[in-house]
Amino acid sequence: MKHFLLIVVAIILFSCAKSNKQTITVAGSTTVLPIVSVASERFMTQNPAIRIIVNEGGSGVGVNQVGSQQVEIGMISRDITQKEIEQYTQTKFISHSIGRDAVVPVVSSEIYNAGVTALTLDQIAKIYKGEINNWKELNGPDKDILVIDKEASRGTRHVFMEIVLGDKEAIAAGADLVLGANNEEQTAIIQSDAALGILSNAWLNDDVKGISIIMPDGSIVEPTLDNILNNKFPITRDLVLVTNGEPKGVTKQFIDYILSPEGQKIVVENGYVSIKK
Amino acid sequence: MLALKNKIGKGYVIASTYICIAITVLIFIILLSTSFDAFKQIGWDLFTLEWNPAKDQFGVLSMIYGTLTVTFIALLIAVPLGILTAIFTSEIISNSYRLYVKSAIELLAGIPSIIYGLIGIAFFSTWIATFFELASGRTLLTAGILLSIMILPTIITLSDDAIYNIPNRYREASKGLGLYHSETIKKVLLPIAKKDIAGAVLLALGRALGETMAVMLLIGSIDKIPSPIYNILSPGQTITSKLGREVGESAFGSLHFSALNAIGLLLLILVIILTIITQLYFKKERRII
Repeated sequence: MKHFLLIVVAIILFSCAKSNKQTITVAGSTTVLPIVSVASERFMTQNPAIRIIVNEGGSGVGVNQVGSQQVEIGMISRDITQKEIEQYTQTKFISHSIGRDAVVPVVSSEIYNAGVTALTLDQIAKIYKGEINNWKELNGPDKDILVIDKEASRGTRHVFMEIVLGDKEAIAAGADLVLGANNEEQTAIIQSDAALGILSNAWLNDDVKGISIIMPDGSIVEPTLDNILNNKFPITRDLVLVTNGEPKGVTKQFIDYILSPEGQKIVVENGYVSIKK
Repeated sequence: MLALKNKIGKGYVIASTYICIAITVLIFIILLSTSFDAFKQIGWDLFTLEWNPAKDQFGVLSMIYGTLTVTFIALLIAVPLGILTAIFTSEIISNSYRLYVKSAIELLAGIPSIIYGLIGIAFFSTWIATFFELASGRTLLTAGILLSIMILPTIITLSDDAIYNIPNRYREASKGLGLYHSETIKKVLLPIAKKDIAGAVLLALGRALGETMAVMLLIGSIDKIPSPIYNILSPGQTITSKLGREVGESAFGSLHFSALNAIGLLLLILVIILTIITQLYFKKERRII
């Protein structure tokens, strides 16, 4: 028994011993997450002496954790708000764009297949304000719209609401559900047959259809990579890594890796647009 | 030597008790101090409907409504089901089977809540949506039913112990008076075990009020009181789901953070009040055993 205890204590002490690996912690937006998690795996195989821990939580979490200096890199998919800058006077936020993306209004495939494939920004705004409640009013099937909103500090929501409702923190009175991460939203839209939600362009698939935007001049803009690149699609944004002050050492090495041609390939592989084009 | 050992033992026991009390008091103090800003700046506006951190609006009524509703639904389902199961396991099946059934039920209590949430979101919510022909299965009712399954093992296993541990002389006396088995259970055993069963329900209630992960995934997380107010087939928000979703994104020291602590404090006070009420109510009942 005594020997057993000794061994346990030894193991605990040993595991507490300071590892000689350098660690970078990253947290934030679920939109940027796929890029950074793939990049960190490849980066770690190339640099075995460095360990990178990637967590999600949304853009708000990313900013907060960099602000309170709990992580080295925050992933955000929107701009840092003035309020956040004032909140953390000790922290000097520096942003590094690593790619581009569009925020796309998405519908359940049933609605898309029934013919609702494009809407004007005004129509989408009316849905989120609760003025349009049924797909019938938009030449769709006679079904109530399940309006899916996102948590208030999510990057995707900020970008979307700024353009659709004119205020990035606007309240959506017509919302039925409030969800968080991209995958949670994706699941809810797949499970429903009459949902409208907000997703990053890279998260669209056969069951979750992005709809095109009808511009004021009548032209229809699809959410394609080309339209994001040339800024034709009205709701686009930069994907950003944010650090406290200029990055140094391994943090800089990692950000440089993502900005390198190899890192930008990962951005494209995940369905986003590379900034180096 | 023996006396010394005795002293050490006594000291250890007393220290453990004080540590437990200190932790409770500490949590209370921390919650009070962090939520002070919110109470000072928001005041009675806390008890309104609008929640919008960007505009410094922090109304918590919809969350209190959601918490009470979901807990009520869970207890409504779990209490009768749990007590009846406990009667079955303690009085009706034979002793050798009782252990198997009981350990199976206790296993249910060991399943992590995130797994309940996962199954709930993948299957259960879609069943509810199809059954009631809803646009979305993320409703107060869904969360309530799932919660009832989660608190069921607590009620069953504690009520079972309460009934099972009643000395046999009561059963024999009752039989001697010519009562049927059903009458013995109803008129003799349940009244004796009443206080312990109430304790079991209270413990379950505590879990229901505090459960976060599974409820957060299933409830829809929207800060609204449904209209009409009894429409439990609409999405809502509980105090815990609000905390779970927003605590990470609120900056430490901000009014938002303070308001979240305030609703945490409200939840704690709610639990304390319920505990006191139950204690007072059952104090009058003297244990006979």
